[in-house]
Amino acid sequence: MNDDFKKKVNEKYEEKLQKGERFWPDSIYKDLLVSFALFILLIGLATFIGIHPEPKVDPTDASYVPRPEWYFLFLFEFLKYFPGEIEWVGAAVIPGILVLALILLPLYDKNPFRHYSKRKFAIGLMTFIVIGMIGLTINAVITTPPQVETEIAGSLTEQIVLGQDLYSIQCVECHGPDGEGGEIAGVEGLEGVIVKSISSTDEMYTRNDGSLFDIIAYGQPNLGMPPFGGAYGGELTPSEIEYMVAFMRYSWDDRAEIPADAVAASAIPTLAEGEVPSYEVHISAVSKRYCMSCHREGKENNEYLMGSYEEILKSGNNVPNLVAGDLNSILLQTIQQNEVIGVDDETIGVMPPKKELKPEFVDMFIRWVEAGMPESASEAAALSVEVAPEVEGEVAPEAGVEETPAP
Amino acid sequence: MFKKIYAWLDERVGFDGLYKNLLDRPEPHGNWWNTLGSASLFLFIMQGATGIFLTVYYTPSPDHAYDSIQYIMNGVAFGWLIRGIHHWGASLMVLIVFIHMLRTFFSASYKYPRELTWIVGSLLFLLTLGMGFTGYLLPFNQRAYWATVVATEIGGVVPGIGDFILKALRGGTDVSALTLSRFFSAHIWMLPAALAGLIGVHLYLIMRHGESAYPDQDD
Repeated sequence: MNDDFKKKVNEKYEEKLQKGERFWPDSIYKDLLVSFALFILLIGLATFIGIHPEPKVDPTDASYVPRPEWYFLFLFEFLKYFPGEIEWVGAAVIPGILVLALILLPLYDKNPFRHYSKRKFAIGLMTFIVIGMIGLTINAVITTPPQVETEIAGSLTEQIVLGQDLYSIQCVECHGPDGEGGEIAGVEGLEGVIVKSISSTDEMYTRNDGSLFDIIAYGQPNLGMPPFGGAYGGELTPSEIEYMVAFMRYSWDDRAEIPADAVAASAIPTLAEGEVPSYEVHISAVSKRYCMSCHREGKENNEYLMGSYEEILKSGNNVPNLVAGDLNSILLQTIQQNEVIGVDDETIGVMPPKKELKPEFVDMFIRWVEAGMPESASEAAALSVEVAPEVEGEVAPEAGVEETPAP
Repeated sequence: MFKKIYAWLDERVGFDGLYKNLLDRPEPHGNWWNTLGSASLFLFIMQGATGIFLTVYYTPSPDHAYDSIQYIMNGVAFGWLIRGIHHWGASLMVLIVFIHMLRTFFSASYKYPRELTWIVGSLLFLLTLGMGFTGYLLPFNQRAYWATVVATEIGGVVPGIGDFILKALRGGTDVSALTLSRFFSAHIWMLPAALAGLIGVHLYLIMRHGESAYPDQDD
């Protein structure tokens, strides 16, 4: 590059400056406008799209499909073309050369021309690289299998509600719906074992969240409790165990105050007079809390599963479990503490085996069967009888309980 | 009163000189593509500001990182907004810096006398990617953890020095508490310091040579 050339370039630039504009205010207003637009865009993205929630780290979960941030996807995809022995070529040599080529570009690009028509090779090559990067990124997005989504709780309330659901499925068969323990019935291998209460003040005051987590994850094999953590052969992730611990702590420890909306969210809806319960709103909530710990796949339950509307009506060895309008249906009898003789002359014991269902839930099932077992809330609403509100302030049942003065 | 304060400040700061040297500079005719550099700077400042707020509550330890971010999202007033801006700002910054680089390439602005501006700029781009890479691990969730495991493994396949790279990145053989504190330190001190310094050089060079003009047929 000789001095004449440099002089020519500088003179040309001076000329352009003469015909040009001023940084203030001509171009800075554009800069500010673009920056402001980006600011609004960021607020919009943060508000309306937010951040995809992810579960806590679980180093034992080998099924997790790792994926980098989107702007590294092309590199990730590029590496797939260099398997095994030659991986280092794709990982280090080629990217290394490209990065060096990028940084040192002005030093080896000796083409003195600047106009597009005179830089066909440079522009062609860069276009090719950029299109390649975009193509690789798209390919990576298409070919990466979707992640198995697990439920993620954000707020404490969500954690407690999810934790209660998990507790209901995993723990109730031995520990009971309120952690009260007692004699185990109907659990293979643990029949007749007496379980102490895990919701007592003693337990709650002497076990911190960490110990509760460890007990659930590792189990207490010597006492008969199997491990539940994925790392030890169970089926729960660390996040899920934490939700369960949150549920236990906030429900049973009298030092922790459970958020009011968590109580509301996990409460089983009550029935008004004349209202017909539906599977969707009422029955599924009760069965999830009190029945599904045993009545799910892989448990000793005469093949009777209660995970869905179809299953409640039609699964198991003793179908029909429920007949519309028939108050002698097997399910209704067992939850009312009457033993029934099943198809193969086997006695079907009372349900739940350990602790009677609360009368309002039994009533809920009876009203549901009487009304013909509607599945959705709208079907149930159509069957409901509107009871005219009485003028002389009739107290709703749930409000009445709250107003009872403490002894 | 204000006049007095202004006069006192002007005497010491020299607003006139500032105005002449910084703002009242002549420039060739530009277009909207010329705003990408200042947009990158704006995003850097946004990332810095939101990042500083995040460090108030964030704890860089495997036991607390995830929970501290849960707290930022649910417990801190407008924490979700600050983190949301930081999260999206990272992606946007990589995108904008990259497009800024492409514009410079296609308009051949990297040629004499702006070669050094390009070299510094391409280093800024790599540092931005480094910020993205180190920041990705900090939430310490499944996605962050496994992406870092795989990415550092890639560093490990380089012949000869691969093992060293892997251990230097991870601070041991596995992704652990040490990896997290390394990435945290790089993300909030080393890389931003390098970025800020190089941005200063980049800006100085731009002011020294002026914004480049778009090429004509005879350029």
